[in-house]
Amino acid sequence: MKCTILCLILVLAAGSVPAQTAGEIIRKIDDNLSARNRVTESAMTIHGRRGSRTLTAKSYAEGTRKAFTEYLSPAAERGTKMLKLEGQLWIYSPGTDRTVQISGHLLRQSVMGSDLSYEDMMDDRKLAEIYEPSIAGEEELDGRPVWILELTARVSDAAYPRQKLWVDRERFVPLRQELYARSGKLLKTALLSDLQRVGGRWYPMQVLYKDMLKQGKGTEFRTTQIAFDQAIPEWIFTKAALKQ
Amino acid sequence: MIRFLLKGILHDRHRSLMPLIVITIGVALTVLGHAWIQGVMGEAYTMSAHFATGHLKVMTRAYADEQGQMPVDLALTGSSGLTERLAAEMPEIDWAPRIRFGGLIDFPDSAGETRAQGPVAGYAIDLLSPATREPGRFNLPEALLSGRMPRDAREALLTHDFAEKFAVQPGDPFTFFGSTMEGSLAFYNFTVAGTVRFGSEVLDHGAFIIDLTAGQQALAMQDAAGEILGFFRSGYFDARAAQRLTDRFNSSQPAGTDEFAPVMITMRDQEGMAQLMDYTNAIGSIMVLLFVVAMSVVLWNTGLIGGLRRHGEFGVRLALGEEKGHIYRSLIGEALLIGLIGSVTGTLLGLGLAWYLQVVGLDIGDAMKASSMMVPAVVRTQISATDFWIGFIPGLLSMTLGNALSGVRIYRRDTAQLFKELEA
Amino acid sequence: MLALKLAIRNLLGAGLRTWLTAGVLSIAFVVMVFYQGLLDGWNLHARSTTREWEIGGGQYWHPAYDRFDPFSLQEAHAPLSPQALELAAAGRIVPELITQATAYPDGRMVNLLIRGIPPGQQLLSLPTAALAADSVGIPALIGRRMAASLRLQPGDALLLRWRDRSGVFDAREVTIVGIFRADVPSIDQGQIWLPLATVQEMTGMAGEATLLVSAPDQAPLPLAGWVFKDTDFLLKEFTEVIHSKKAGSSIIYGTMLAIALLAIFDTQVLSIFRRRREIGTYMALGMTRGQVIGLFTVEGAAHSLFALLLASIYGLPLLHWLGTHGISMPEVADATGMTIGDKMLPVYSAGMVLFSVAVVILSTAIVSYLPARRIARLKPTEALRGRAQ
Repeated sequence: MKCTILCLILVLAAGSVPAQTAGEIIRKIDDNLSARNRVTESAMTIHGRRGSRTLTAKSYAEGTRKAFTEYLSPAAERGTKMLKLEGQLWIYSPGTDRTVQISGHLLRQSVMGSDLSYEDMMDDRKLAEIYEPSIAGEEELDGRPVWILELTARVSDAAYPRQKLWVDRERFVPLRQELYARSGKLLKTALLSDLQRVGGRWYPMQVLYKDMLKQGKGTEFRTTQIAFDQAIPEWIFTKAALKQ
Repeated sequence: MIRFLLKGILHDRHRSLMPLIVITIGVALTVLGHAWIQGVMGEAYTMSAHFATGHLKVMTRAYADEQGQMPVDLALTGSSGLTERLAAEMPEIDWAPRIRFGGLIDFPDSAGETRAQGPVAGYAIDLLSPATREPGRFNLPEALLSGRMPRDAREALLTHDFAEKFAVQPGDPFTFFGSTMEGSLAFYNFTVAGTVRFGSEVLDHGAFIIDLTAGQQALAMQDAAGEILGFFRSGYFDARAAQRLTDRFNSSQPAGTDEFAPVMITMRDQEGMAQLMDYTNAIGSIMVLLFVVAMSVVLWNTGLIGGLRRHGEFGVRLALGEEKGHIYRSLIGEALLIGLIGSVTGTLLGLGLAWYLQVVGLDIGDAMKASSMMVPAVVRTQISATDFWIGFIPGLLSMTLGNALSGVRIYRRDTAQLFKELEA
Repeated sequence: MLALKLAIRNLLGAGLRTWLTAGVLSIAFVVMVFYQGLLDGWNLHARSTTREWEIGGGQYWHPAYDRFDPFSLQEAHAPLSPQALELAAAGRIVPELITQATAYPDGRMVNLLIRGIPPGQQLLSLPTAALAADSVGIPALIGRRMAASLRLQPGDALLLRWRDRSGVFDAREVTIVGIFRADVPSIDQGQIWLPLATVQEMTGMAGEATLLVSAPDQAPLPLAGWVFKDTDFLLKEFTEVIHSKKAGSSIIYGTMLAIALLAIFDTQVLSIFRRRREIGTYMALGMTRGQVIGLFTVEGAAHSLFALLLASIYGLPLLHWLGTHGISMPEVADATGMTIGDKMLPVYSAGMVLFSVAVVILSTAIVSYLPARRIARLKPTEALRGRAQ
């Protein structure tokens, strides 16, 4: 989901041309997705029952199929790296100097105690590949005019068969995202805010995820730095880079 | 008088040896039987106590609500201070901080890449401190099938079936992978020290045991523990004392809604345990009652026989003019003495046997060679305070009663008939 | 025969002492029969209940299925072959489809297994007919333990979240239509039963199953793609528990028997000491030592006959009463996961009772014989004069 949402954010942020139909919006989103690469620094705040903690990380992504993340803080997490490569995921821990592959049911576990699973991170398909969009309405959200977009899965293996997006009509950024189960039950929500202009795109620097079935305050994801179309050396996306 | 009787008892084998032997054996059997029943009845929950509930358990309130999910994130912090405090306040209890957790074990290939992975249940217990009693509670020395016990925090025990499934041997490395107390990634390298089999399929399917300090490091639980288990130093659960200690501890905690405040519960407070314990205790009591009754009857019989044995002797004594009352009193006195000596030696013998069976246990595993049930393979007796006096009921009372009854015949004997009787 | 008659007369003559000894021996005997009967009864009950409620005449497993690893369920499902479908239609097998799910009872999160079973099945005792209810959205059946731990009543709704075969999330509320009481914890704790077709639809596994329960009278069939697990395999752990309980309890009645035997031994020693003259007379009359030893051994062993007589006087009604009324067990005796009924009904098999009778008679004969051996060392002349060497 993280990727879904991040990709979505990227894509949406890129577009500022008003779109007429849902299909066009989605296509535009996917066009924007092909932004060659990006480098981000982020802070993820996880609200647990015991209190909150914040992890910072630097990430490199190329297209949707290659991603590399290195955690910077706190000390316990520093140096932990994750590599996503063509549908496979590895985690490297400096303390053990081991690279462990995450597969099978493990992909369904939460990442670092957050409301996101590895699988959410792994889903690297474009929105248009997965969903059939339709515009369900227009309204105002937090003082911004938005389209309400209904997304229905066109593939059988989308984790969430239905989504609802509240998309800022001027900035092309969703401000609210709702993820539904096949039965129509609301499972998760994401609230996107603090839109900033980065390299010609609008970008939501803050996202709040919440698992709606669970009690809790959710997970905050804050992008502290972002840069697009950087020169990322190819070796970053190799398993050797994990041990560097 | 006592010295005189004692002399008689010691010198006259007829009078004393057989009854003494019988009483000693009988009393020893009673004590042993009682300890055995206590042990067998206790066994119904010994395993739960050792593996999961303890006799007492301290954890956070939140953890208590979700025990089944092994929630390390709801663990007790400041566990060493709390353990020290508990040890100081309740010296009769042996406190054992533990962490129960879940995760994944990753076995590397020669290049250090993932070769195989499997889900495990983890137990971090005190394996290494010199005075620890935890390995015994987990029955580890007996459960060890290959390799040896861990010698440092980098070594772990794997369940044998799990190790076999992944073709792992003692000496092989592996990485534990899971969630820390805060929810971060937990990574920790271990070496397989040995493999164990508990005999419970659920456990043998995939579990590993490491030292508490290793667990605390691996799960980022510095000075924290999932639960602190308390065990009576006697080894056996004392419901009343446990309740008293629990009340005292819980009332000393500030009232409030802090879900991470420690709370203590007794083994009886665990779901369903109270009823189960009452039930087994009731069954045990009935068995013990039957035992004591049976033994009393036997020793009563011994008393009767003892009286008969000395028929001739009493005849002579009567013929010599000894008063019937005096003979009768001396008979009772001797019975008391023999009963006392027999009860003491019998109790000592019984306690010795029971103690041996408590320490060594009786391996009834032959009946079930191929399998290795966790606890039932070795059944142990349980010595309690009762064992020190229970043998005296049949030993002293029955013996005396038997003699008193058969001694009544003394009064029935006609002095005039005596010589005729003795001639015959 | 004469020896026996004599023996009985002698024992009767000893009065109270004989009855005390025989009484203790009879207690040991009754306890022995009762204990074994109890364990046999438990064993029979648990085996038959587990068969009736869970395993039938055995189960066919999907090769990937591992009952202790819920993660295996992701792979462990396959369509029923035409042969299997035919058997299912004929009621010879019951297919079950099992999947992992999360339940959210009042905001808590509980992991459980959803088990799909045909509502119309007759093979297992589960009251699955309740699942045929179409008045509620998705009907669900749970056991009393699960109902207690989730704090649910019939009619309550429970939110379930699961993922289908492609990992798609789904969440729906189910309605508890029934709570069953079964003595088999493994179909209760951590499980929720739904109609098979519903689970197949929920998971996108139409026509598939994880395991097939065989009818009790059905010989194992070679079903391609399924591995047959017989009841011995499925009940292995339980069998081991019973074995160990038997060994443990034999010590108890063994000790009890030892106490009774001690009394007989003591009696024998005394009677041989007191009846030297009688022994001398027998020998003087031409009986061999062996015959005399035999006489005394029979006399001692005859205690067991009295014991059996006593045991049948008070023991038969007692054991019978226990056998029909049973020993009621606490509600939670099965908290440990063992199959235990509300009542334990002892079952006394002829073989077991005969075995116990044999043990009592034989052991009594042995302890009677041991002191009687002394007779062999008696000289008839000395014995006649009432002296023993």
